[in-house]
Amino acid sequence: MLTITRTDLARIIDHCNAGYPNEMCGILGGRDGRVEKVYCMTNVRPGPVSYEMDPEEQFRVMKDIREAGLAMVGMFHSHPGGHAYPSSVDVERAYWPGTRLPNYPSAVYVIVSLLDRANPVARGYVIEEGRVSEMPLTVLEQQEDHGIAH
Amino acid sequence: MGVKVRIPTPLQKLTNGKAEVECSARNITELVDALEKDYPGIKERLSEGGKVRRFINIYVNDEDIRFVNKEATVLKDGDTISIVPAIAGGCR
Repeated sequence: MLTITRTDLARIIDHCNAGYPNEMCGILGGRDGRVEKVYCMTNVRPGPVSYEMDPEEQFRVMKDIREAGLAMVGMFHSHPGGHAYPSSVDVERAYWPGTRLPNYPSAVYVIVSLLDRANPVARGYVIEEGRVSEMPLTVLEQQEDHGIAH
Repeated sequence: MGVKVRIPTPLQKLTNGKAEVECSARNITELVDALEKDYPGIKERLSEGGKVRRFINIYVNDEDIRFVNKEATVLKDGDTISIVPAIAGGCR
């Protein structure tokens, strides 16, 4: 289970909408399965069916998360014209190249479908050892503000 | 010459669970060879045909080697090298 505030989820969806029709992406910092900080990232392979986080930005954010005493609890990206389920490319890229070893074993891959733009759908998944399992997102209604980074 | 290498989780099976190792190398190519000597199998995970694999990013301190001198990027004593898998995908 990954817990996220309604505010943070709205920020993720806003970022995904802002880049429509291209895929957008980001990193989720937090602890104990709870998102505490949303990082909106640059997609260096912008397109409606592809994303790759800016490597330097990714490195900086991962360092920031470590220094804040947090962990990378997840990452997100959008499927502007697809369902909220990992594609075969998403699954392949979740593994170390040429292996079935997950790159980020405990991280939750959140996918935002904008297929129906009026009703975006966000779902979380864990991708490990050749298996994709849904990891339910629990949305907290209180308006806690953990801040956002760019 | 000693440098520290931060090993990502998927490769820690090859380094006996160690998240950080030390080795001696003057550049990235030498570093990959030095790691292979201590941790057999790691070279094939990191590189292909002498080049760092696509979707694997290597940083010397805070610098991405692609923007320095790629595999020829020079290392100096005390440098920290981070090996970080890219986060990528696509709805295809």
